[in-house]
Amino acid sequence: MRRGVGEYAAVALPLLAALALAPLVYSNELLLFNFIMFLILAQGLNAIYGFTGYLPFGYVGFFGAGAYGFALAVMHLDASPLLAMACAGVAALALGVVLTPLLRLSGAYFAIANLAAAQAVYQVISNPALQDITKGPYGVTLSSVFAPALSYGVALGILAATLALVAWLRNARLGLALQAIREDPVSAAMAGVAVVRGRTIAWLLSALIAGLAGGVFAWHISVFYPETAFDLSFSIFAIVFTLFGGAATQLGPILGVLLLYGLYNVIGITVPQYFQLIYGVLIVLLVLFLPDGLASLATRRGFRVP
Amino acid sequence: MRRRIVVCLLALACMAGARAAWAQQSRPAEERLGGCFDGYLDKAQTEQAAAQQPGQPAAPAEIRIGHLHASSGPYASISMPVYLGLKLWVEQMNAGGGAVVKPFGRKLPLRLISYDDQSNPGTAATLTNQLITQDKVDLLIADSGSVLTAVSVPIAREHKMFLFDPTGTGAAFFSKDNPYIALLADPVSTVWPRFLWEFLKSDVAAAGLTRVAILYSTNDFTGTQAASIRAALKAPGSPVQIVFDQGVPTSTSNYAVLIDNIAAAKPDVVLELGYVGNDIAFLRNLQESGTKFPMVFTLYPGIETSTLLKNVGQTGLAGVFSYVTALAYSYPPEVGMTLEQFRGSWEKAYAKSGVEFGWNAIAGYVTGLVLGQTLACTDSMAQLDVRKSVFSLSGKLKTLIGTFELNEQGAQIGELTPIGQIAPAGSDGIHFTVVYPSAMSSGKPIFGAK
Repeated sequence: MRRGVGEYAAVALPLLAALALAPLVYSNELLLFNFIMFLILAQGLNAIYGFTGYLPFGYVGFFGAGAYGFALAVMHLDASPLLAMACAGVAALALGVVLTPLLRLSGAYFAIANLAAAQAVYQVISNPALQDITKGPYGVTLSSVFAPALSYGVALGILAATLALVAWLRNARLGLALQAIREDPVSAAMAGVAVVRGRTIAWLLSALIAGLAGGVFAWHISVFYPETAFDLSFSIFAIVFTLFGGAATQLGPILGVLLLYGLYNVIGITVPQYFQLIYGVLIVLLVLFLPDGLASLATRRGFRVP
Repeated sequence: MRRRIVVCLLALACMAGARAAWAQQSRPAEERLGGCFDGYLDKAQTEQAAAQQPGQPAAPAEIRIGHLHASSGPYASISMPVYLGLKLWVEQMNAGGGAVVKPFGRKLPLRLISYDDQSNPGTAATLTNQLITQDKVDLLIADSGSVLTAVSVPIAREHKMFLFDPTGTGAAFFSKDNPYIALLADPVSTVWPRFLWEFLKSDVAAAGLTRVAILYSTNDFTGTQAASIRAALKAPGSPVQIVFDQGVPTSTSNYAVLIDNIAAAKPDVVLELGYVGNDIAFLRNLQESGTKFPMVFTLYPGIETSTLLKNVGQTGLAGVFSYVTALAYSYPPEVGMTLEQFRGSWEKAYAKSGVEFGWNAIAGYVTGLVLGQTLACTDSMAQLDVRKSVFSLSGKLKTLIGTFELNEQGAQIGELTPIGQIAPAGSDGIHFTVVYPSAMSSGKPIFGAK
């Protein structure tokens, strides 16, 4: 566990300090916020995919549930933003519990079923018949709680907690058990690992992280539509960033987000018309030459990546 | 191996979206200059007014106009024409030496900084911030449509930056506590259908057509229009009865079953309110089904006429009622080009761009005209002065789409579009007969033509 603390201090603390100070030198705070949000999402995805091998293509479902959990708490309960953040986490956790049976599936079947579940939640939220509750397809406005500086700070806190969780998983008994399940669930079960319980815990932790990310996103952006909160690109980006950097590490998803999301914004501002082409070529090269992500450059040479 | 397959699929999905850059050409064209609204100035007077006066602040090298557009994704079809229309206006102004900027007492060149948000609201939010905080633009213009405009509204407000909203008609954007927005080129969704419901309750009801079906796409634009029409038709004393009222996802592309369901309700009038793709699918399915209704109204035949004609055809559009925009109804402009002049300039500049000329192209150009008049009238470049200047145009600025008029929240309540009916013209063309309001009408409606 001491190693986990050391890794956290080496990797997470400098990153958190940099992100905390960045608004003082760079005024596009929303861009910095997006970096934080994708760091949270990538680490949340890391918790389920990196440690158990389950790839949730519909990960955005938890994100959207969190965003709407926050919005509903503000709109109908007049909740304070922090209480609404708790509601965001609860909403995503509740969805995670409902979707727990999906863990009976594996591989592509799990990915597709998860994606379908996220779409189902989206359709329910955007149903015009629920306009009085969710505002249906017409979007929500949360201008009464709009506080970009405070929500930026809260996002940073969530990221700190998420990185701590991943650092803990990397070194704790549960994390090792999850990795054993990922490699061979039957052997892990034979060795006394509680497979179902382990997977369920990882699944719910992952859902909670995405829900909190969704909640703070709703708070920060304050006006959004269902298609914004359930945009599939959140899932795709989180998956690509995690795979690019290297799953099951703390550092890998961080590298993935910083490099790829940074590149995304550079391309998006300079030559947006070539964005898909450049991104696609980059991913093809990654698959061909670095299928285990950037972290594998070090692990192949015997170095431990935090 | 599984991971490789997944990543390969992701890569293929990304590359499938790759496409060549928009081929964009530009041609300067003559622009009529308008002065501040103490009264219009002719070109010579405007140039005289543009001479640098002693004591005026030092002028910047250029006026930076920040804008977002979507070259790909679901909103590209409405966003690109607006962008190109605006770009055309900027190029015309620069060809004439720039725009008159009153605080500096001279003409200044315009620089359009337009980022591509790829129809992604998250990207649009980041890029809006980029324009304000990094590019430090003088004037900020939102992307087209409500979904992409929505994310820019709170950001502009937070930075106390006035947001020029070309076509984001969502009523929620406009509130008394937000002075930093105005809708320029489309009437706000709650007001836009006014002529339609008046027509239904008067002329149509008088013709004995009182049973109305409403089928709408569940998005902010058409959903709000449907709500406004519904409320008006259900008002006390209304002679009209709503017999079918259903929202469908905007992604709906097959209306065959829905048309059967509507027919079962035996309506006299069918209102289908959707985006371009919805209207095309509905009208095609209606034609294929052979089902007839005495009156059919859809939004986009009058808004993106070329696209609808190309995809639905003359026969499919014949008899359909729609809004009549400036594409088919001439408003004599006091500022800027006439429709014919603008269409000619567009064809010269963008004939090979693949972007159809339509209402949204005009909306982009009108956005530019409002910007130009704002710069000519503002006391300073402070954003609240910019707002004051925009609002000073209300009720006075007359462009090729009619009279620009704002309510106190910044929602567009002018530029209302009359109701018209489509008739075949020539071998493969169409023309609109304006049927309401009577002051603008050019003929009588023919019910049962669809």
